[in-house]
Amino acid sequence: MASIADFAAAQKPIYHQERPSKTGLMDWLTTVDHKKIGILYGGAGLFWLLIGGLEALLFRIQLARPDQHIFIGDTYNGLVTMHATTMVFLAVMPMIAGFSNYFVPLMIGARDVAFPRMNAFSWWTFFAGSLTINASLLFCGAFPAAGWTGYAPLTTKEFSGMPIDFWWAGLTLLAVSSMVAGVNFVVTILNLRAPGMTLMRVPVLTWMMLVIQFLLAFSFPPVAVGLILLAFDRTFGTVFYSTGMGGDPHLWQHLFWLFGHPEVYVLILPSMGIVSEILPVFTRRPLFGHHAVIFSGVFIGFVGFGVWGHHMFTAGMGPIADAAFASTTAIVAIPTGVKIFNWIGTMYNSKMTFPTAMLFAISFIPMFTLGGLSGMMHASPPLDLQQHDTYFVVAHFHYVLVGGALQGLFAGFYFYMPKISGKMLNETLGKIHFWVFLIGFNVTFFPMHLLGNHGMPRRIYTYPADAGWNTENLLATGGVFLMAGATLLFVYNLITSLKNGKDAGSDPWDANTLEWMTSSPPPVHNFDFTPVVLSERPLWDHKYTPGMEIPVPEQAEEIHMPSPSWRPMWVSASAGLIIVGLLTFSGIAGIPGWPLCIVGALGVIFSVYAWVTEPV
Amino acid sequence: MSNALRTLSKRLPSLASTAMLLLLAGLATACDEAHPRDAYAHPAGDASEISAWFYNMYLVLDTIIFVGVLAAFFIALIKFRKKPGDNTLPEQSFGDPRLEIAWTIVPTLVVLGITIPTLGGLFELAKRPDQNQKIIDIEVTGKQWWWELDYKKEGINTGNEMHVEVGTQVMLHLTSADVIHAWWVPRLSGKRDATPGRSYPLNFRPKEVGSFDGQCAELCGASHALMGIRIIVHPKDGPDSYENWVKHTKEVAAKPTTPAAEAGQKVFMGKGCVACHSISGVSELAVGARSRTSGPNLTHVGSRDYIAAHTLKNTPENIATWVKNPQAVKPGALMTNLGLTDQEAKDVAAFLTSLK
Repeated sequence: MASIADFAAAQKPIYHQERPSKTGLMDWLTTVDHKKIGILYGGAGLFWLLIGGLEALLFRIQLARPDQHIFIGDTYNGLVTMHATTMVFLAVMPMIAGFSNYFVPLMIGARDVAFPRMNAFSWWTFFAGSLTINASLLFCGAFPAAGWTGYAPLTTKEFSGMPIDFWWAGLTLLAVSSMVAGVNFVVTILNLRAPGMTLMRVPVLTWMMLVIQFLLAFSFPPVAVGLILLAFDRTFGTVFYSTGMGGDPHLWQHLFWLFGHPEVYVLILPSMGIVSEILPVFTRRPLFGHHAVIFSGVFIGFVGFGVWGHHMFTAGMGPIADAAFASTTAIVAIPTGVKIFNWIGTMYNSKMTFPTAMLFAISFIPMFTLGGLSGMMHASPPLDLQQHDTYFVVAHFHYVLVGGALQGLFAGFYFYMPKISGKMLNETLGKIHFWVFLIGFNVTFFPMHLLGNHGMPRRIYTYPADAGWNTENLLATGGVFLMAGATLLFVYNLITSLKNGKDAGSDPWDANTLEWMTSSPPPVHNFDFTPVVLSERPLWDHKYTPGMEIPVPEQAEEIHMPSPSWRPMWVSASAGLIIVGLLTFSGIAGIPGWPLCIVGALGVIFSVYAWVTEPV
Repeated sequence: MSNALRTLSKRLPSLASTAMLLLLAGLATACDEAHPRDAYAHPAGDASEISAWFYNMYLVLDTIIFVGVLAAFFIALIKFRKKPGDNTLPEQSFGDPRLEIAWTIVPTLVVLGITIPTLGGLFELAKRPDQNQKIIDIEVTGKQWWWELDYKKEGINTGNEMHVEVGTQVMLHLTSADVIHAWWVPRLSGKRDATPGRSYPLNFRPKEVGSFDGQCAELCGASHALMGIRIIVHPKDGPDSYENWVKHTKEVAAKPTTPAAEAGQKVFMGKGCVACHSISGVSELAVGARSRTSGPNLTHVGSRDYIAAHTLKNTPENIATWVKNPQAVKPGALMTNLGLTDQEAKDVAAFLTSLK
C-alpha cells in the first residue's frame, strides 16, 4: 500500500522569484502569499468575532431584566448595529476568506491564487474598511445606529449623524474588497486546477467557495450602488432616498436585499462545504451523493438571487410580488433538504470517530435544520406578517448563522489548524468548548422563538415587565455568558496550541484531499511537485486503492513564484484617502476635506500604473 | 489540572443534558407568565386568525420533519461508531441515485403542498374589504416616536390609543411623517410598514372586546422601543359602545374646575405647549401649522390609559415627570424641555388629567 511518505522522495522544486520575500513585519505587509493572507484574514476575523461578541454581551445585559437603563436609546441601537455589521462583515466573512485563501489553492493543487497581488489588495482594502466602520467610535463617540440593514430614510442626514458616514464609507471599502476577491477566486478555481482535477473532482468545500465567489462578485455591486447613492444623499444633498423631492426609501431596501440575501448564502455555504469535507474523513466513507451535494449548493446560489423580496413582505410590495417571492423562497428548502439527507446518509454504515472537529460538524446538522425549518415559516407571507422583525426571526437567523455558519467554521478551525500551524489543538479543551458553546447557544437562542411568538419585536432596548417576556430574556442573557466563555476557551486553545500542541505531521486525520499530502505548514510553493488527480478523493485513493497512486515525478519542477509588493497596499490606501476626503468633504475646523478626494484619485491612478508596470 | 479537565470533558454529555433540562424548566416557567401579546394562542382579529392557522400548520409540519431528521441522526450516531480495535474500512458507498431522486421529489411535493395554501392566505389577507358594509377608516401616521390617528369621517384627531368596534371592519391607511415605522398589534393583525411618501392599507376585523397592545416593529431611531400602541375594541351597544366613544370624543374638552387645573391651563397656554399640541375648545393648531415634529392632540388625554405612546401609565405624577424632562423618559424625544418648575409641572398634570 502506498503512503504519503512516498512524497518525501520528491525533488525540491527550483524556483524563480523577481525579488526575494522580506522577513519579519515587512514580510506580512508586502506578502502576496495566499497562505499568509489567509492567516491575516482569519486572525482579523477571530479578533472581530470577540469584539462582536462583546457588543452582544453588553446589549444582552441591558435586556436581562425589564425596564433597565444601562444602554439605552441610540447607544443600544449602536451596539445592535455594530454587533450585526461586525459579525457579518468583519468576523464570519473574513474567516471564510481566510479558509478560502489558505485552502482553495491547496485543495486544487495550485501554487497560489490566479492574481496574488489582487489578493493582497482585497486584504488591505478589507483592513481599511474594518477600521473605517469602527472609527466612528473614536471620532464621533458613537456607533452608527440605524441597524445593519440601514433602512433609509433613517440613514439620511435629516435623521442620523456622522456615524452613518463611517458606516457607508467602511462598507463601500468592504464591498470593493469582496468584489475583487470574488473575481480572483472564480478565475483561480476555474483555471488553476491540477491536471486531472475535473470539475466533479473538485472538493466540495472548494465548490462551495466557487459558488460564493460568484455570489460576491454579482451581489455586492447592487449594495455598492446603494451605498454610493446614500453617500451622494449625505455628502452632496441629492434626494435618492428622500420622499419630499421624489426619492424613494424602497429603492434602498431592494438594492440592499438584492445583496443581502445572496450574502446569507455566502455566510452558510462555506460551512456546508467544511461539513462535507469533515464528515467523510471521520466516517471513513466517501461523501454520500457527492454530486447531489455540489449541485444543490450551486442551485442554492442561483435561487439566492431570486428571493430578496421575502425580507419585504411587510413593506407593501403588493400580493403579486409577495406571491412570487414566497414561491421562490420555498424552493430553497429543496436543495437544503438534499444536503441534510446526504450528510445523514454519509453517517450510515460508517465507522465514526468523534474528535472536536467532527462534533462541531455533526452538531451543524440538527442546529441548521432547526434554523431552516423556522425559515420555512417566514417564507409564508401570511405568517411572516406576524414574525417579521420579531425575536422569532432573530432566533431563526442565529440558528442558521451561529448553529450553522459559526459552528461550521469552528469545525474548520479544529480540522484545518494542524495544517496551518503544524500543531494539533488540545482535544480536551476542544470538547469543553464544544459542549459549553452548544448549550450556551441553545439557552440563548431557543427562548427567542417564544419571545417572538409572544410579541416581542427585535431591536428594542427595553420592555415593560407585564409584557410576559421576562424569563426568556433572562435565559437568553445567561446563555450569552456561556457562549462567551466557550469562545475565550477556544482562543486560549488556539494560541497555546501554537507552542504546546502535538506535532501534526502532514496528514493527521488520514484525510482525502490534496492539501494533506504536503507538509504542515506547507512550504511557500505549496507542493514539491504538481499532483496528478485521478479521482474525487486523490489522497485517499493514493493510500487505499491500488493502481490509483499519485505519481511522484523523478525530476525537480521549475516554478515561478510571485514577488512581494507594496503596490496593492498603495491602491488600498489611496482609495481610503478618497473615502476620508468624502467623510470630511465640507471641512473640519474650516479646512475643507475635498482636496483629499483629488489626491486619493490621483493616488489610485498612479499606484495602479505602478502596479501593472511592476516586474513580477 | 489536565486530569481534572479530562474528567470534566468525559462528564460533558451528562452535564449537557442537565443544562437542557434546566432550559426546559426555565421555558416551562416562562409558559406560566401571562402573554398578553400572543397572536397564535389568542388571536382576536380575523387577520391574526389566518396567521395563527398558518403557524399551527407549519408547527405540525416542522415538528414532524425535525423529529424525523433527529431520529435518523441519532440512530446513525448510536449505531455507526467505530468499535475499539476495529481498523477495517466501512463499505465505500458513493451514494444511491434512487435515494437522491426520492429525497428531492418528496421535499418538492411538500413545498408545493404548503405553497398553494400560503398563496391562498396571502391573497385572502390582501383582499379589499366589501365597501357596502360599515368600515372604520383611520389614517395612521407614524412619527418619531408616537402614532397620529385621524378618523377623517368622524372628524377625530388623536394619538396612540385607537378605538374601534367589535365585529366591524377596520381599514387603516398607514404612512409616516419621517422615517419608516411598522404598525403591529399582534392579536389583531400582522404588521405593515408606515413609509413616508406612501400610504398602505391594513385591514382587520376585531372579534373580541378589550384592550390590545402592540408597538412599532421597524427600527426608527433612539426611542424605537418606546413607540407603543393600544387598540381598544368597544362593544356594539351599551354605555361603553364605540358610538358613545365617538360622540364623547367629538365634544370639546371640559373646562378645568380645580385651582390647580386652572393654573395648569395657564402654564399650558403661556409656556409654549400650544405651539405643538391642540386641545379642542382650548387651543387648536391650524392644519398648516402642524409639522412633522408637532405632538399629539390632547383633547381627551385624561381618559387615555398611557402617556408618551404607551411609555408611562397615565397618572398625574407620571405626566409631571414627563413634561419636566421628556428626554429623561424617552431618549431623543422631540418634545421640548421647557424648563418647567416642579409646581408648574404638577399644575399641567392636574390640567391634563382633568381632560377626560
